[in-house]
Amino acid sequence: MLPGKLFSTRKVCLPSVSLEGPAPAGDAARVGLRMLLALTLSCLAFAARTIPFLLVLTAIDLALLWWLRGKQLSLRRELKAFAWQTLVILMLYLVRFRDLAGLWGGFKISWQLFLALLPSMVFVRSTSQTRIVQALNRVMPCRMAFVLSTCLKFAPQLLAEVRSIYEGQVLRGARILPRDLVKPWHWFDLLHCVVVPAVVQSMALAGNIALAARARDFGSQPRRSCWPGL
Amino acid sequence: MNPVVEQAGGLFRLSLKEALFIGFCAVFAVLARMMLRLHLHISGHAMLVTAFFLLLARGSVRYRFGASFAGLLAGSASIFLGFAKSGPFMLVKYLAVALVIDLAGLLMPGLFRNYFWCALVGGCAGATKFFTAYSVNFLAGMDRTVNFQASLFEAAGAILFGVLGGLLVPVVLRRLHAYGVIS
Repeated sequence: MLPGKLFSTRKVCLPSVSLEGPAPAGDAARVGLRMLLALTLSCLAFAARTIPFLLVLTAIDLALLWWLRGKQLSLRRELKAFAWQTLVILMLYLVRFRDLAGLWGGFKISWQLFLALLPSMVFVRSTSQTRIVQALNRVMPCRMAFVLSTCLKFAPQLLAEVRSIYEGQVLRGARILPRDLVKPWHWFDLLHCVVVPAVVQSMALAGNIALAARARDFGSQPRRSCWPGL
Repeated sequence: MNPVVEQAGGLFRLSLKEALFIGFCAVFAVLARMMLRLHLHISGHAMLVTAFFLLLARGSVRYRFGASFAGLLAGSASIFLGFAKSGPFMLVKYLAVALVIDLAGLLMPGLFRNYFWCALVGGCAGATKFFTAYSVNFLAGMDRTVNFQASLFEAAGAILFGVLGGLLVPVVLRRLHAYGVIS
């Protein structure tokens, strides 16, 4: 038995896709509106050049977060990114202007950039993927929406395949354990032993899905018929 | 002819199988970025997987806009998976890289088997980071000199990792060709 945490350095949690039933009729429109609101708030953050404007936008974003507080939204990762980004920008501004006014300008820019990414992040975290795809089905070509939703749906299965390929290759003696990968000359082993078989596997899976879809008359109608929910 | 089996795609037409394969490449690009976050604090290291998978997507199919399609899907997928650090601009970032790859593929159809050209295209794709970073900071109203320096700093790392990502592509494509997976 291989030790845990062998393959991934970070646990990936994919949103569930197929567990939800059919959506209420007005749901897609509501999700579309929320998506539009998030994009508008992001764009407004770039237009905000004054402190009152930025404060109003921050208040709106905080109200949005307060409204979604029941969904256990964690902002830790984003706040860390914000802190790192602010540090880099402040350093560059300090080098350029060498005074406090310059530092304040740098902080304002960083604040603005954070406000630009916050709404879309909140939207994605608080809305299920199924609902987003349902909303996008109305604005995207149905073939592209099908490809996107299918790929997202099969992503966990592909990850499991990659994991089993990795474990199999480790058992065969491939030098691809994390401690081996510290040495760059072992990266080619990872390429040959894991990446190539994973790509071959995904090609085979794509072929099977395409065959199954064609067998169900996919593409015979210009508009896609959905069952159930999607 | 069996009506269930779809014909292979061509220069201007993408078969469903190829579209799904490109979709998987796009999802791999996003997931690899999520899993292998190296915490190097080196700007542009994400370009390694982006350039690699977009070049792979274009090199595996004959369709002329394979990388753009993969970029569009990767941008959308990263927004859905909550990984879009720059919000809707993630789509632009992927598309800029993909357009460079498609343009290079259009001019030199055989480049995906050549190490030098792949590295060059990977580097050029990485260089798009300068324009996307500059545009985002410019829209936010950052000082021009600071913006130029910050964008240059980010682009330098992206070019380096883009070259590395490009160098890996011929190896994989040759193996796929040897297995008969691609023609």
